[in-house]
Amino acid sequence: MLRNGRAGLRRLAVVTAAGLVATMAAAFGGVSTATAADGDPVIFRVGMLQDVDSLNPYKGITAAAYEMWALTYDSLTKYGAADFAPEPNLAESWDTSDDGLTWTYNLVQNASFSDGTPLTSEDVVYSFERVINGKVEKTNWGSYVKQIESVTATDDFTVVMQLKKVTPLMERLSVPIVPKHLWEQVDENEVRKYPNEPDSTPPGSIGSGPFILTQAQEGQFYTFKTNPNYWGEAPKIDGVEFQFFRNADAMVQALESGEIDFADDLDANVFAALEGQPNIEARSSVYYGFNYLTFNAGAQLVDGTPIGTGHPSLKDPQVRLAIHYAVDKEALVSRTLDGRGSVGTSIIPPLYPEHYEPEDPVTYDVDMANQILDDAGYTKGADGIRTMPDGTNPLVYQLYARQNSETSQTTIKFLQGWLRDIGIDSTADTVSENRLYEIAGEGTFDMYEWGWIVEPDPDYQVSTFTCDQMSYEWKDGTIYAGLNDAFYCNDEYDRLYTEQSTEIDRDKRTAIVMEMEKMAYDANAYIVTEYYDYLQAYRSDRFTGFVPQPDPDGAILFQYGIYSYLNIEPVTADTGSSASSEGSNAGLIVGGAIAAAALIGIVAWFATRGRRSSDADVE
Amino acid sequence: MALRDVAAHEFPESGPEAGLREPSAKATKGGLARFTGRRLLAAAGTLVWVLLANFFLFRLLPGDPAARYRGVRNIDPAELARIREELSAPMWNQFVGYLKDPLQLSGISSWKGEPVWDLVGGRFWPTIVLLGTSTIIATVVGVWIGIKAGWNRGGRFDKASTGVTLLFYATPEFWLGLILILLFSTGVWIFPGVFPSRGVIDSGLDPLSIAGIQSIAFHTVLPATALAVVYLAEYSLIMRASMVDELGQDYLTTARAKGLMDRLVRRRHAVPNASLPTITLIFLNLGFVIGGAITVETVFSYPGLGLLTFEAVSQNDLALMQALFLIFSVSILVFNVIADVLIAAIDPRIRV
Amino acid sequence: MSLDEQVSAEPAKVESVRAVSRQRRRASRRRFVAAFSKQRGGVAGVVLLAFFVATALLAPLLFPSDMLDVTRTISNPANAPPSSEFWLGTDENGRSILALLAWGARISLTVGISASIITMIIGTLVGIGSGHFGGWFGALLERLTDWFLVLPFIPLVIVLASVLNSRGVWVMVAVLGVTSWPGTARLVRAQTLSVEGRPYLERAKVLGDSNWQQMTRHVLPNVMPLVLANTTLTVAIVILSETTLGFLGLGDPFTDSWGTMLDRASASGAASTGAWWYLLPPGFCVILVVLAFTLIGRALEVVLNPRLGER
Repeated sequence: MLRNGRAGLRRLAVVTAAGLVATMAAAFGGVSTATAADGDPVIFRVGMLQDVDSLNPYKGITAAAYEMWALTYDSLTKYGAADFAPEPNLAESWDTSDDGLTWTYNLVQNASFSDGTPLTSEDVVYSFERVINGKVEKTNWGSYVKQIESVTATDDFTVVMQLKKVTPLMERLSVPIVPKHLWEQVDENEVRKYPNEPDSTPPGSIGSGPFILTQAQEGQFYTFKTNPNYWGEAPKIDGVEFQFFRNADAMVQALESGEIDFADDLDANVFAALEGQPNIEARSSVYYGFNYLTFNAGAQLVDGTPIGTGHPSLKDPQVRLAIHYAVDKEALVSRTLDGRGSVGTSIIPPLYPEHYEPEDPVTYDVDMANQILDDAGYTKGADGIRTMPDGTNPLVYQLYARQNSETSQTTIKFLQGWLRDIGIDSTADTVSENRLYEIAGEGTFDMYEWGWIVEPDPDYQVSTFTCDQMSYEWKDGTIYAGLNDAFYCNDEYDRLYTEQSTEIDRDKRTAIVMEMEKMAYDANAYIVTEYYDYLQAYRSDRFTGFVPQPDPDGAILFQYGIYSYLNIEPVTADTGSSASSEGSNAGLIVGGAIAAAALIGIVAWFATRGRRSSDADVE
Repeated sequence: MALRDVAAHEFPESGPEAGLREPSAKATKGGLARFTGRRLLAAAGTLVWVLLANFFLFRLLPGDPAARYRGVRNIDPAELARIREELSAPMWNQFVGYLKDPLQLSGISSWKGEPVWDLVGGRFWPTIVLLGTSTIIATVVGVWIGIKAGWNRGGRFDKASTGVTLLFYATPEFWLGLILILLFSTGVWIFPGVFPSRGVIDSGLDPLSIAGIQSIAFHTVLPATALAVVYLAEYSLIMRASMVDELGQDYLTTARAKGLMDRLVRRRHAVPNASLPTITLIFLNLGFVIGGAITVETVFSYPGLGLLTFEAVSQNDLALMQALFLIFSVSILVFNVIADVLIAAIDPRIRV
Repeated sequence: MSLDEQVSAEPAKVESVRAVSRQRRRASRRRFVAAFSKQRGGVAGVVLLAFFVATALLAPLLFPSDMLDVTRTISNPANAPPSSEFWLGTDENGRSILALLAWGARISLTVGISASIITMIIGTLVGIGSGHFGGWFGALLERLTDWFLVLPFIPLVIVLASVLNSRGVWVMVAVLGVTSWPGTARLVRAQTLSVEGRPYLERAKVLGDSNWQQMTRHVLPNVMPLVLANTTLTVAIVILSETTLGFLGLGDPFTDSWGTMLDRASASGAASTGAWWYLLPPGFCVILVVLAFTLIGRALEVVLNPRLGER
């Protein structure tokens, strides 16, 4: 045995050394290194945590998908970078009749699609009619065309729209203008399955926008190159690549190692780790989203039929007010956002001019909360849990948090503790968003946590508290949710909603919207817990020239526009990129060499042993 | 997990049922062909069960698949109705529809709106690369350790390796994945952060090009290691156990007495016989490794079938989940059949 | 001491059958303990397990439940590295990780043991049933076992966990218990067949013992030791599965288990911020507990099946 052992070791050493040498030679010789040099295309690589669900603008709904469409297609108008004000896009000017029912848009004359076909008013008419007459097309774009009666092309570059009723949305038409000659080959039955990718039939993602989709790898990456024939000002980069990451960890590492240039929608934790790192600009921007807690304030169907299992105490506005006083929003901002955000009040976030700031906002005051409940007659039982004024039905709530959100679960954990402080018991469960949507519709909850992202135009957001957005019953008896998950229903509110939807005067409309927000706030329909900042980070040694929306603190990517993509330029082509590729080259060589050497070593070990023993074969 | 399953898989030379002859399965005499035939027939029956299970399991799933449209206003009521109608037909109608197309070849994913098999198709090769690589690593290293430990039972190597392998066996593979990322991707202390922590290939590379293959290899090192370590432990423990069993066999004493070199005896006699349970285990495990692949692929964002499974579950995508579940079940079935036929081929006693 | 020696030592006493068998059992228990204590691995496993069981039981005393209440830890630093105040640092809500670990032991052990008991019961019933009964019933049970084994374990567990809307601990127990029994059933079936081949069972049949009596009086006692060894190993697998489910976000985030701790560690970017104090301890705990059960299970196998003892 001893003899074999020594011989074996020697053999192993020789073999491994040989293997290493061989591999090193191969590695240095054969590995193709991708060093960036002058003249290499400048690609802006973005990491995102949400995947594109579909590149078909009539099918997808994720924010990532919207970003892709924004690069590919143009719309008539756009939201200004400074303050979301309407600005010309494909429509270089427009005009309206005195009664506001006729709108005329004048198109730019040099726009063309990426397959060379010129963009004319026919394409615009087609794009709008597709939505107006379509079914699945209405999902994303229906609200813009609600009041449009007809769309006609009076000449090659002029479009006229007739309205049924006056609406302020005519300067906000985000409907993507698609090439008629291609999309008319996709009929209403096929549109549901049409992926709209470059290799689809007919070829997809052909738009007039500044970038052209060249490769789409679902769940991995999406590659764009700059449109050489873009009608507007040419971008200063050669292409964009979006990479999808499933966790923030991996994305941050990719940013640090230089695999990507931009990391979007970061967690507060990893964001803190990035701050102060050389060559990385970590940017916290004000955003138009908010998180909230909602109450089951009397779940009912649109026709008034009560549904669900909500606790009766929540119908009492005093109870909701008391709970509002028991919520420590500062603690939530501190714990869930790491301080990056602000305490929530109304449903239109502060960065929009329509935001309503209450003069006397509800603060964190446990004593006040207890006081209100005592005064309202919800006395505590022997076990410290309050009951209804008549002594029955102890206040035990069913709470829900969302499975895929840390913030949601943390908020509910906090809520449980706070409710206990005011004599309310609770059980909490975590469910998927799909399931929560069901629960919300059926009213089988007492409170849960969710969030909204608010568009620049307030119409959509304030519509969520209208009576006809409550749950409705389908013909098979199933109950489905509308958008009104607070079950807030008030005739005056509804009247104001109709009023603002036909008010053209900006100031008058803002006043009406603010009044609506005040009503909802005073009724404690939601507890808006926090307005969260949007955390992004990028390689400041690679790219510069990002454009925030709104100015100066807004998000620089994934905006209501594509300003950054059009404006950024490389800092210096060489230094940044070659440093990283050196890094990855070294890694490739070292890693490859080790792995290969080990493998060769093992294989050689077995092989040489076999040969030796056959010499001594005595059978 | 499969330690127990191997012992229970009617391997006659070790485990509690040693020396046991299964009357029902082995009643008839016959060659390998007949055995294979019978085995395939049994497999067909199991396949029927698998199809049934696949259907009912997923009908238990709640959730309004149309719910992903929340927050998007003005969906055309007719479109919403169509989606709902399709997905909430009475159970019997759905079952009949299922039987017409059990493979869900025409199924549409409710998550992406694309045909299910389009999504699945693109995810096959990364999983095959991952499973193949990790199985090779686990087998080569595990078997080597097992042989060495079993041959010199009680020696230092044996004690050390048994301890280490038991430790590996107890490790959750996703946690190991996270640690590997920490050490070899982020890089802490003396550990270099050289390996990528996500994906299977750098963007823009053709998977069949040299650069592409290098990139794939580079991306696969950490996930394959994480996956391999647990099964390596199992294989080495089983190999060692069956080596020890073999060592007690008479014919080996005879061979040694004849003066044959240890190593020869080991290679020519002990190893092949001791390999039987390991081979069985490898094939049986190919089914279970799929489960491990789900978590490893999730940790490493490795775009294979495992990750797709997790995404499908998160998104309540009925059609996609069904297709994936079927793929996994059929794989396990196929590998079980292969394992049984292999055993029968190697050990004629079993066919009888 | 053999029975004969016992009897001859006290000739004046008339030993009842009951007393005799009781003494026999006591003697065999002593033998068992003696044999087990020779298994160094098994003893190590027992010690390790005892440590975790003690931690689980003492957790409420050592770490009052307030320490896990997020509303009470607001003033603690979040994501803090180990310090004199927090030996293992804090999580993203300022809660002591050491406290979370201790309470997590309760979950892991509870789920592991409960689910394994379910597995043991179902597996034993099906296994004995399919081994004892011939004909269509036995074959049916055997087919059932095989069919369940074909379904992929983790995907099955994931699907079931997401199907059942409640994410409570007992749902987890039910899911894991119901999916893990086939392995045990197979083992029990094989052992049943082996036992039933023995002569004395033939005699029992001839003497008129009913099926039930045969199964409970003869098969079951012979099968149980192996089942116990197997169940111990099952606990190991159940704990690993429960941790996996927790990590994938299918566990109950309102009860802090090691798996959900790892999920939150990963979600809060521990691997890239280098928060090793959040990432390593839960994993180590899982490894140690699983190792403990594996060692004990292996030792039990060796003790209960002397043939394996030659290893």
